[in-house]
Amino acid sequence: MEDELYLENIDEFVTDQNRIVTYKWLSYTLGVHVNQAKQMLYDYVERKRKENSGAQLHVTYLVAGNLIQNGHICHKVAVVREDKLEAMKSKLATIASVHVYSIQKALLKDSGPLYNTDYDIVKTNLHNCSKFSAIHCAAAVPRTSAEVPQVQTSVQAGSQTPSDTNAVSVPVVNGHGPSTAKQTAQQPKGIMGMFAAKAASKPQDTNKETKAEAKEAPGVSAVSSKPPAKGNIMNNFFGKAAMNKLKVNSVPEQPKEEKEVVKPSVPVAEPESSPSPVVEKPGKKTESARIQQKDKKSKMKRMDKSDNEEERVPENLKKKRKRIKQLQSDSSDEEDVPPSPMPEEEKAPSPPPVPALKTELEPASTEVSAGGKKRKRKRVLKSKMFIDEEEGCMVTEKVYESESCTDSEDDFAKSKPPAAQKQPVLPMRKEPKEERKNLKKGAATANRANKQVSIMGFFQKK
Amino acid sequence: MFSEQATPTAQGLLAPPSAEASTFTRVPVLAYADCSQPFRLGERSFSRQYAHIYAARLIEMRPILEERARQKWGNGVALRKLCELRAGEKCCVVGTLFKAMQLQPSILQEISEEHNLVPQPPLPKYIHPSDELILEDELQRIKLEGAVEVQRLVTGTIFAVYGSEQDDGKFLVEDHCFADLPRPLPWNGPSSDRFVLLVSGLGLGSGSGDSLLSTQLLVDVVTGQLGAEGEQSCAAQISRVILAGNLLSQNTQSRDTINKAKYLTKKTQAASVEAVKMLDEILLQLCTSVPVDVMPGEFDPTNYTLPQQPLHHCMLPLASAYSTLQLVTNPYQADVDGIRFLGTSGQNVSDIFKYSSMDDYLEILEWTLLAGHISPTAPDTLGCYPFYKSDPFILTDCPHVYFCGNAPRFQSKLLKGEHGQQVLLVTVPTFSTTQTACLVNLRNLSCQPISFSGFGTEDDD
Repeated sequence: MEDELYLENIDEFVTDQNRIVTYKWLSYTLGVHVNQAKQMLYDYVERKRKENSGAQLHVTYLVAGNLIQNGHICHKVAVVREDKLEAMKSKLATIASVHVYSIQKALLKDSGPLYNTDYDIVKTNLHNCSKFSAIHCAAAVPRTSAEVPQVQTSVQAGSQTPSDTNAVSVPVVNGHGPSTAKQTAQQPKGIMGMFAAKAASKPQDTNKETKAEAKEAPGVSAVSSKPPAKGNIMNNFFGKAAMNKLKVNSVPEQPKEEKEVVKPSVPVAEPESSPSPVVEKPGKKTESARIQQKDKKSKMKRMDKSDNEEERVPENLKKKRKRIKQLQSDSSDEEDVPPSPMPEEEKAPSPPPVPALKTELEPASTEVSAGGKKRKRKRVLKSKMFIDEEEGCMVTEKVYESESCTDSEDDFAKSKPPAAQKQPVLPMRKEPKEERKNLKKGAATANRANKQVSIMGFFQKK
Repeated sequence: MFSEQATPTAQGLLAPPSAEASTFTRVPVLAYADCSQPFRLGERSFSRQYAHIYAARLIEMRPILEERARQKWGNGVALRKLCELRAGEKCCVVGTLFKAMQLQPSILQEISEEHNLVPQPPLPKYIHPSDELILEDELQRIKLEGAVEVQRLVTGTIFAVYGSEQDDGKFLVEDHCFADLPRPLPWNGPSSDRFVLLVSGLGLGSGSGDSLLSTQLLVDVVTGQLGAEGEQSCAAQISRVILAGNLLSQNTQSRDTINKAKYLTKKTQAASVEAVKMLDEILLQLCTSVPVDVMPGEFDPTNYTLPQQPLHHCMLPLASAYSTLQLVTNPYQADVDGIRFLGTSGQNVSDIFKYSSMDDYLEILEWTLLAGHISPTAPDTLGCYPFYKSDPFILTDCPHVYFCGNAPRFQSKLLKGEHGQQVLLVTVPTFSTTQTACLVNLRNLSCQPISFSGFGTEDDD
């Protein structure tokens, strides 16, 4: 019968499982009204004691009543052990209720375990915590879903806008929690996207030694799907030309490589358009300077970032990059082939703005190189051959010339435009360069030490 | 009294299970109106000086005080402004009180280089025998002496003094008066027993589990899980629960992120996060059964200055799903079932406690009611928003229940006014230390403490 069933259950809980069976716990477990649970516990205690007077059962009771204290009537509610029950009852002027609170095998020293039991069972039943209660409140209905969003819309509106920039700004901001998406302009979006891609791929590929081909332009464009094609274009020539100009001393090249590997597929997905690169250029200049600063910081604190799981870019971006990466890194051969058509494509629209941008960026780059990041300006020992006018002979000289390259892969793709630009620069720079050879040597060797050997070393610029 | 009718069936549950378990319906909300609109701040601008709030206070309270002065000292009493004072003439002046206190912490002194002072440690009371009272009005100020209790009064009180100016430029006070109780509100109370539970100082997140069981017992009594049937039916008459501040413990206020190095605190969560989660669960249990009003307190995650704005609902995702949860301001004013409640989380009273010789929280509470202002020490020693149009802390209507939270112990008093005002003054004790809450019976404005306890190893009674 039903009666016996609950007795057996309680018996099992108390003796076999050695649990503390509180009325609330029993009520939730058996799905009965709290008052019935209390009565069940009482019944169990009575029967057990009748059968077996030496039963190892400790009971706690709840006593509630009025107490005269300090001149006013205080209503007291107390959980007491069985041995203190009568003492408490005698203290109260009037008793409002007495019932069994819990049954357990062991003697409880204090009421802590009772609280824990109740807490656990309530926690697991939070959604219907008043189901078995003796009071039912008609007003306690959950708000309809229509009302709730009204309160939350304003909160969400701010946070939903560029979630991609969210991803971007997260790694960029130094070691702090994910900052709110600040950049809403499209231009910065594109630039930030570029950084997002780089930063995201960083943790993934820190181990990888794969070198990307020269993908400066497509490499730089944002991987995240959101940035518009406009931003892409900017990133394109930003990567190509600007990276030539802007050099960083200490920034490792590896992240750039990875980024570039990742990038190539994205431009394929996004259609290219050339709205007005010129207009965007000045904007980009300042942005690039700023971004480079941030990027440097982000690189410096890469250790920080790897610690902070919360600051990881969103899952989707990560996955996307992973996917793209795998396409690229399958075999080194493939690396060359797919990317190489890319840069040529990119270069087609971009060469016209590139030289202009280069000249613009040059002054900017000199300022930025102090704190610069991805784009390095290195002094590279090169042998130059020219015809000496005076003596009418060919002279081959080893000179240090300053060139900007993100890594060796950049050299490959940039060979055409940078080479064209460098020629006029060279004669002016030669003398000072020779003087500063010693200084540059150190820098160059340092750069070379930082730089990792890559397969693209074969395609070094002469 | 609560649960008196429960006595006959007290032992009813010491019996084998009955077939049907009775369920009681919570008394429905007869009438509820939130009157704390003046305490809600919209756009906040802190680019104002605090002088405006004093000006607004004086302008608003001057007519009331002049009326009182006429009542007390006759219709013919001369009401003068300070600039119109003539030496030796007996007159009445209405102004703002300023108490010059030697021990009052002053930021200017602290940062002054010439004094080279170490910042003063916080004292329980900042009164000193050498304190002086100064009366200010719109244009001038004058030192007061005579029949004024310097120690009892605090800065910011508007009151009227009757006396005369002396030759030395001080004002000799013969008598003074306050604004007294504001006009009474009509009585619309319920005819049957209805209770409102006042709790304050839950102190979650304190790291010590002493009061956790008591908190759970409180929730269980209110939601009708605990107690025999009689008690449960009485608990069903609790129509509202007001949590008056300090839901979180002071321990959650540690500012490790400021003091410690970043690498130590990088991944540590603020202590208040866990505490708020616990609060959310407790509120959920309460909200499924009874309407709850949650007031923020000194240690709660909301703004510091009075009036404190409601806690944000995003912190309480589980409980905010229920419309029975109301997040309200501190101070809080509402019409509950026809009874006007007004109360704070205790910052105003504890601040007056620090700067005056009054020791009893109930006495201070009564004094603020008689002075006609909830917290006169704001903005001088208690943080306050720079109001300029009006001072929302001025009492315009006399509440029926006037409470303050986080008091050291439970006290209550029924104050009767000359014009038929009846006010129940309640000091709600801090639950985390006293495990006591207050039950206010709306039918007859009586209050009863309700306390909870578990048992411990040292229990001997």
